[in-house]
Amino acid sequence: MSSTMARTRINHALHRALRAAVSLAPLAVLAPGCADFRELDQSTEVELSVHVDDWRDEVIYQILVDRFANGDRGNDYLVNHDDLARYQGGDWQGIIDRMGYLEELGVTTLWISPVVRNVETDANVDGYHGYWAQDFGDVNPHFGSLATLQELVREAHRRDMKVIIDIVTNHVGQAFFYDMNLNGVPDINLQNNGGAMPVRHYTEYDPDFDPRRIQAFTSLGEAGPAPIIFQYDPATNHVPPRPALFEDPAVYNRKGRTYDFDDPDQLLHGDFPGGLKDLDTKRCDVKQEFVDVYAKWIESTNADGYRIDTIKHVEYEFWRFFTQRLRQRLAEQGKTNFLMFGEVFDGRDDLLGSFTKHEILGDNDLIRLLGRTIDDGPTDEEQIAVEQECVPDGEPLTGDQIDSVFYFSQHFQAVRDVFASAQSTDRIQALWQSRYTNWGTEPNAMGIGVAPADMPINFIDNHDVSRFLFNLRDRPAEVRQALLHNALLFVNTAQGVPCLYYGTEQAFEGGNDPANRERLWDTGFDTTGPTFQWTKRVLALRAAYPALRRGGTNVAWSTTHTGDESDAGIFAFERFGSDSGGSYVIMVFNTNQVHASSTSFEGTGMAVSAPPGTVLIDALSPEQASYMVASDGTVDLVVEPMKAAMLVPDTEFEPGI
Amino acid sequence: MAPGPAADSEPADEPVPEPEPEPEPPPPSGPSVEEVQALQRRIDTLERQVEVLRQSQAEVAEELGKPPPVIVQPSDEPATAPSAPADLPYNRAPDYADGFHFGSYGRVVIGGDHRGRAFRNGDIVAYGSRLDESTYAELELRREDYWEATDSFTRIVATMAVAAPLFHQTGSFDTTLGMRNLYIEESGLGLKKLRLWAGSRMYRGDDIYLLNFWPLDNLNTMGGGAIYGFTDHTELRLHAGANQPRSPLFYQQAARPLPYAQPGAAQVPVLDRQKVVSSARFSHIFWLGDSGAGIKPVVYGETHYANEGQREVEPRRFETLPRESGWVVGTQLGMFTGKRSTHLNLVFRAAGGLAAYGEFNAPHQLAPDNSSRGAREYLLAAGGNYEVGPFGLLLGSYWRSFRNASPSLDFWDLNEGALILRPTVWLGEIAGISVEGSYQAQRRGVLVDDGSGGTKPLFAQVGRVGIIPFVTPGGRGNFTRPHITFTYLLTMRDAAARSLYPEHDVFGLRKVDHFIALGAEWWFGSTSYFRD
Repeated sequence: MSSTMARTRINHALHRALRAAVSLAPLAVLAPGCADFRELDQSTEVELSVHVDDWRDEVIYQILVDRFANGDRGNDYLVNHDDLARYQGGDWQGIIDRMGYLEELGVTTLWISPVVRNVETDANVDGYHGYWAQDFGDVNPHFGSLATLQELVREAHRRDMKVIIDIVTNHVGQAFFYDMNLNGVPDINLQNNGGAMPVRHYTEYDPDFDPRRIQAFTSLGEAGPAPIIFQYDPATNHVPPRPALFEDPAVYNRKGRTYDFDDPDQLLHGDFPGGLKDLDTKRCDVKQEFVDVYAKWIESTNADGYRIDTIKHVEYEFWRFFTQRLRQRLAEQGKTNFLMFGEVFDGRDDLLGSFTKHEILGDNDLIRLLGRTIDDGPTDEEQIAVEQECVPDGEPLTGDQIDSVFYFSQHFQAVRDVFASAQSTDRIQALWQSRYTNWGTEPNAMGIGVAPADMPINFIDNHDVSRFLFNLRDRPAEVRQALLHNALLFVNTAQGVPCLYYGTEQAFEGGNDPANRERLWDTGFDTTGPTFQWTKRVLALRAAYPALRRGGTNVAWSTTHTGDESDAGIFAFERFGSDSGGSYVIMVFNTNQVHASSTSFEGTGMAVSAPPGTVLIDALSPEQASYMVASDGTVDLVVEPMKAAMLVPDTEFEPGI
Repeated sequence: MAPGPAADSEPADEPVPEPEPEPEPPPPSGPSVEEVQALQRRIDTLERQVEVLRQSQAEVAEELGKPPPVIVQPSDEPATAPSAPADLPYNRAPDYADGFHFGSYGRVVIGGDHRGRAFRNGDIVAYGSRLDESTYAELELRREDYWEATDSFTRIVATMAVAAPLFHQTGSFDTTLGMRNLYIEESGLGLKKLRLWAGSRMYRGDDIYLLNFWPLDNLNTMGGGAIYGFTDHTELRLHAGANQPRSPLFYQQAARPLPYAQPGAAQVPVLDRQKVVSSARFSHIFWLGDSGAGIKPVVYGETHYANEGQREVEPRRFETLPRESGWVVGTQLGMFTGKRSTHLNLVFRAAGGLAAYGEFNAPHQLAPDNSSRGAREYLLAAGGNYEVGPFGLLLGSYWRSFRNASPSLDFWDLNEGALILRPTVWLGEIAGISVEGSYQAQRRGVLVDDGSGGTKPLFAQVGRVGIIPFVTPGGRGNFTRPHITFTYLLTMRDAAARSLYPEHDVFGLRKVDHFIALGAEWWFGSTSYFRD
């Protein structure tokens, strides 16, 4: 075959190949439809599952997402590191990246700040905290994408950790203004005419409460309820709220800003200070909307619980509907043991507990709890019959509400008054005893299986109060540390679930909001500091002794003494029984800040439940000091000021922690 | 001036005047003898060079078994090789020639939607149908010289580009201008097969016409380079340049007090770093048969680099921006028949780090250390043309996967692709009708409701069908220009595609769009855009 013939054949073959390639090339590159997007494809596979055995075993760690760790520079919009009232850059990826830090600390459940899209900024403060919802169905882009949130939950579950999401049902963000002078634009320095109306200054963004609804007025006098006008400024995300129902003015109470939190009308129907517009949570459509939007977040993330904001600002009937319907909907998909607890920012234990009780409480009960008098309201049957009208499928509502609440009464009466201020310890005993009257004593149906009174959420401080150390800022450093460590030990050994505010382990000492919302990454996530090490040890002890997690409580010693008395400042309690098997622990705290105290006074010793002859080892003492239960059933020990002892039977003692 | 009498006409009866004395000849206004002689020498030199080149090429062609090529001048503009191989006579840049030259690429589009709104590009992907792209033109002026002293050639290229809107659209004396080329290229200086260049230059390889896309290499650089042709079909190109994207990652000014108690403030560039881009490209043509067919493989690479810098995040407080780097590797396989621009180019390209964002794009969605580390782009592309008789078919398609540097998936992480086919039938030599069908799709790194209570990744799709009758004075050929066109383009968007647009954007509201336009497109004599 000649070379010319060969070339000709090659040429023809190339022509054919080219024609074929031209026709087939589209198939080779028509890939976008089936292109691999593994990360997201996996994200769509959310199957609801239960990751909690008993919530009492958990240790909650509260994360202000914007302040914990910045794992993704891609979502650092409008970050201002010089102003803690503005976004700092923390995000969900940062939490994923730092789970090792949390694991080392020993916490088991992450409570993350609200995930929904917020008003960006209002009055030079950002919605970094998450409580200014604009779109209840979309993510806050500062924190990442839904896929990242899903990954956060997945990663937590892989590490046998749980995730609790913070939610709000009381209000939306700064969605609208009251057009009080009917000029169609928001005015921030408005005053009426005087004369029959005393001269008062108003801001149309956040006017003071008016039980009639915020009134419009002109130069001729009042002009009826002021219309509300939804703001529209996409740059700050002041756009009408979502879901669409919340664009309807009728779903808002429109009464203006609450200034008297003991006025039931203001408490339930007033806007939350800061211009946060109060929703009419007695409406069936509002109730159902919140069930839908918040069920959806669990269905799309498989998170394990909800921390609920501003509970006391919402009617009991809402909580009955919301918690029961949500439990039911999630349980149908396999998500049981779903924890719902919340914030009743109040020191009155009966008010706290009322949101966990099973009686059919109504607005009149709230009025009474707030110290106001009122005629009897509807009977339980009448009340529940009204609420039942909101239930489309006829499933009967009961008195069940929330699984637990933050133990604010303990925060004030024990942590603040006793562990920081060395007041008498008998108040703690009294408070604990009243819990079984004030709180629900039966588990909620389809709930977590634990009675609310058996599982208060114990905490030292949180994002709404100044940090524990801030209130001791005038004390010597070693005293501050000792008091903090004792308080940490207390909330982690008292009955209930401990909740640690991020940064406590780094001995943060910020004052009130926003000073108490420091950037954790400024510490370099140091794990060598004394408070980190102490917290880690305390949590390890809690994990080692079931009685500290699931045991019941018997106060063994409390005192009214705060002076030179031998037992001044002593508070001791036993943890045993309930579901803790044979585990047994006695916690003995000396809250006196001056001298060592003992568990006896004027010849009376501390009687304990352990049999005489039981050898108890102080798991906290370096030398593993031991004590024996005397023949009269008492234990006598001396505890240094601002210190504690953890006595466990020698048969149960686990060395090395 | 009236015509004089014809040579064969009858003589006039008028008396012939006496001749006047011859005036002194005026000083010569043309070239001097010396100048004419110099010109002649230069022409002789050029002719010798042409002859040498002709013989050289003839020898090479004979070795390869193909007829001697027509091109006899130094090889064409190197950085702007066409889709089909640059060495082919039917598809090449202008030759070197002494003097001033003008070239141009341009398109003007006059149109809108069926409701009278002005049009804009309706693609959701980075490279989709170009039927509704906007007006753009390049005006190129060149100066080309032969230097006898060094036996070399020089080309100075200045290309000014104009983008919409034009004055006649807005009535405003306000035009968007850009200097796309401003460089000198020396050819044959020192080494006959070496070209050196420096300046500002569009520096790119083969494009996919239907996508208006240079998939393998497309740099717009301030820099310089060297091109060495080992043979007429083997070439190595090296280049390095610098640029500075307008981004706070590269440039930042801050006000500072003036020295020596002068009142006022000065703007001080506290961050002023550049991106250094270098590239290397090697290509070779394997000739197949004697009809001009061949295969052209290309390998290509880039490096990107930016030194560390610092920027002011708050007054007098700085943060460090880490050193950045990036890379590109890619390859192209070109196949061509040598007839009527029939060819197919397949491209693969991968980029990482700083380079994954492209040459001018400042990185965004950064890694935790404020760098572009971890960003990736992968690209597959195919472009081609096939013509037979009165029929032609253009192909353009690509698939691209981009992940930005941030570790989480977000809206800017995407997979996308497009496929466009444009068959054409020519009606005689002066007109034709093209039909273009295209499909484009995009997945983004966000989850959306799947409509049944779950979520799924956003997957948006757009389909487009257009019909384009045209007239052309240049006869048949998909790359024959100029064209005057009429275009009707139907665009269909699914719900996900509509969701990509903000509220109240008509593209977010319309499932179907109609685009109607009159257009003109041309190219000629341009170093940066040339096709037959």
